[in-house]
Amino acid sequence: MDAVTIHFAPKTGTEEEWNEAYARLADYFRSYRLHNRIRRTQVILETLRRAAEAHEKDSAKSPTAHAIGQARLMLHDWLGDIYKGMELTDSQLEASGRLGFHLCDGPNRWPHFFIDRENLPVDMSEAMRSAVRTSGPRLQVSKMTPRPIDLGIIGDVAEDTFEGGRPALVRYLILLIVIAGVLTAIYWLTTYWVASL
Amino acid sequence: MSAPAAITSPAALGPRTVPLVPHAGMPSAVQSRMRRVTFFSLVFLGTVIGGWLMFLMLQPNGFTWYKIGMLAIFLPLYYLLNVGFWTALIGLWIINRPKPDAIDLFRTIARENANDPLGATTAITVPVYNEDVTRVYEGIRAIYHSLEQTGQIKHFDFFILSDSDDTNKWIEEEASWLELCRQLNAFGRIFYRKRRKPINRKSGNMSDFCRRWGKRYRYMIVMDADSVMSGKLLVDMVRIMEKNPGLGILQTFPKQIGAETFLGRVMQFGQALYGPTFIAGLNYWQGGEANFWGHNAILRLAPFIEYCALPPLPAKVPFGGHIMSHDFVEAALMRKAGYAVRLLVSSAGSYEEGPPTLIDTLKRDRRWCLGNMQHFWLLFAKGWHPMSRINFFHGIMCYGSSPLWLGFLILGTIMAAHDGITGAKSTFAGELLLGFTVMFIFMPKVLILLDELVTGRMFQPFRLRILTVFSSLLDTFVFTLMAPIMMIFHTRFVFNTIIGKSVSWVAQRRKLHPGLDWREPILTFGTSALIGLAWAVLAFFISHQFLIWISPVLVALMLSVPFAILTSSTRTFQRLGLFLTPEELNPVPVLQSLRDHMNEVKDRPKLPQEIEQRFGLVQAILDPYVNGLHVSLLRRRKSPHHSREYLAYLSHKMLAQGPDSLTGRELSAVMYDPDSVTHLHYQLWSSLEEQLATFWRVAIRQYNLVAPNPFFHLLSQRKTPETVV
Repeated sequence: MDAVTIHFAPKTGTEEEWNEAYARLADYFRSYRLHNRIRRTQVILETLRRAAEAHEKDSAKSPTAHAIGQARLMLHDWLGDIYKGMELTDSQLEASGRLGFHLCDGPNRWPHFFIDRENLPVDMSEAMRSAVRTSGPRLQVSKMTPRPIDLGIIGDVAEDTFEGGRPALVRYLILLIVIAGVLTAIYWLTTYWVASL
Repeated sequence: MSAPAAITSPAALGPRTVPLVPHAGMPSAVQSRMRRVTFFSLVFLGTVIGGWLMFLMLQPNGFTWYKIGMLAIFLPLYYLLNVGFWTALIGLWIINRPKPDAIDLFRTIARENANDPLGATTAITVPVYNEDVTRVYEGIRAIYHSLEQTGQIKHFDFFILSDSDDTNKWIEEEASWLELCRQLNAFGRIFYRKRRKPINRKSGNMSDFCRRWGKRYRYMIVMDADSVMSGKLLVDMVRIMEKNPGLGILQTFPKQIGAETFLGRVMQFGQALYGPTFIAGLNYWQGGEANFWGHNAILRLAPFIEYCALPPLPAKVPFGGHIMSHDFVEAALMRKAGYAVRLLVSSAGSYEEGPPTLIDTLKRDRRWCLGNMQHFWLLFAKGWHPMSRINFFHGIMCYGSSPLWLGFLILGTIMAAHDGITGAKSTFAGELLLGFTVMFIFMPKVLILLDELVTGRMFQPFRLRILTVFSSLLDTFVFTLMAPIMMIFHTRFVFNTIIGKSVSWVAQRRKLHPGLDWREPILTFGTSALIGLAWAVLAFFISHQFLIWISPVLVALMLSVPFAILTSSTRTFQRLGLFLTPEELNPVPVLQSLRDHMNEVKDRPKLPQEIEQRFGLVQAILDPYVNGLHVSLLRRRKSPHHSREYLAYLSHKMLAQGPDSLTGRELSAVMYDPDSVTHLHYQLWSSLEEQLATFWRVAIRQYNLVAPNPFFHLLSQRKTPETVV
């Protein structure tokens, strides 16, 4: 029971501020789904002890900010030990580490070893290391290049009309007049023919 | 499997369509020609008879400009009517033949080899864009379980290809991907990919997949976000592709499921009753030059990557530019390269959801209209197979027929105002034409109903067959009221496309949210109702006989507002046994599995609305695991100093003023930056209450009091029964 009899007597900050820091830390560690309350309390008190020391050196920051900052540091160091040799950047280490703990069901399987650098069960470390995931398989790049489609007369008309010069426009104007003439002729012929029926 | 000889030859790259290689299950050239000659001769005959009767009807008092216009418009409309009629009739003949169709692809796979392992790897791709995350992932779960039951799951990989630009949806998709993989033990089998820029929309999404991973797979099965397919059908499709190396695309007939509104159920029923007959008819005359509908289909990846990349069209968007309805064009390109595109006539195993209301149907049609109108560019392009041109033409005419019909009615009104139909010969021709037209419209329905009554193809109990007849009568009434409304809107869409109005890419609404907004139907259909009213007054003054003739159209227009409201109702007459489909009554295991899991999620207590709406974002900032997941999936980029400062400013603003203080693009920029997302997580937990916006204060409080595990909230935790096939 030695571990839970931590003497917590911060030299700086008010009682109210430290209570707020405690509450926030409790919420924060609960968000890790650490359902083991004893372990959670141990971690909170250890974090607060470190935060109190940090607050003595820099009282401009609130105890809550120091508490979360210390929690982050402890987590970072813990994950650094687990993922040693995997060449992860700091943010990758934190992100993949947290995710790895979730994926190997760490909160339920190893709640007593959360942020405990002194005791790293081998199976937990292996499970967390193997849980580093990517969302897609290895790329096998192909070229998918569009081939031009010869759009025929429509494309020619569009190209000549929108991009060509005047002669093209005139050409198609003549074409349109010819078509209109043919249609008119058909009209008159059919009218005459119908009238003669 | 090796590719057909013709396909490996340089001819495949040439300007002409490469002939199909004769193969088991492939229609031969003679067979295809005979079928098409038969079909189009019948269509031609019907159109000519209709045209001649129209000519005789209009003949008295000479041919004025409006009569010539009517005749000119009438011919393409009557052609389309005949295409539908003869397709249905041939389909009925095919499905009632004692032997399966000679080109039925199921004949090519031997039943005794049903348990043999598949020789190919297949990617199942699910492109998503701001969709209902629960529905998408539960659909994938159902398909995955169904495939597991076939014992062939190891030959399939799933790819969720996200283009979502809603930050909240994006994070929900990530968390759900992880949870689904965890639940199914499917890491390395279900993958998630998010594109930062959704270039070229859905077709760009698929091309991106092909470029990244296409070489890994022989086949790709393309799904929609709401698609569901049974494992058995998926395995059969791969086997068919393996047995038919000349097959480039195999399209299934996706049956509609899951409708919860009156209109949704009517359309679902109509598709279930009439659809299989039309599909059989289509397969008869389309043969190896069928169409691709963009989803619930399998594609041979190597030729797809080689030949089916889409170039932009000339001119600017919307009429030109990026090809929106990519599927028809991909089918034409595949066929041009010498690979067949086939329809798979199957009665079960392929499903999708339809739009719930008339307004949603129209929104979808607006997009489809623009896509189909763009195909006008391709109609006269060189090298297409003639059937590909016909497919393009029919696609265009799906929407182009509406302005033609409207034009016909307007010219008819002008004619009625001038001289009307006079003379015994003309009147007789008109009556005969009316008889033929009614026959072309309603005879397929009547025959399909008779077929159902006699064979019980949909339902064996006679009581259900009788209810099907009643449902069919009612659906005829609904579709009759709906058609003129669609005519007005499709006409508007066509003209909007021509004058260059573009369409924004919005997520498709697939379910009706509670509380229908009455203003929306009134604002949408008010103009149509007024057009109907004005037209009715005009017709009244022209002649009472004309008013009666045109009244079905005008009544429908005048009733468009109540029609839209009533058909959006969730009173669907299901309890009376109306509009039932086999999938509703006896869902196949894959659908039952989906339904059970969806119900479990639906029955959960909801979070406060503001948290529920931003659930993904809240979790990505608050929850250490979701935050870790999101950062892990982000690609690390080097960002210059000034953008670091800007992102820090945005992060601070988001915490101090809430996420609503940021625009969508700003929020997206922050959430794409791994350092910012990590920093936000610690910053939020470090901040004192007074430093945080109310939104975050509530979020932290809610998070600690009632918030569920973020990975569990969106997905079912129900164990799946063993018999999902």
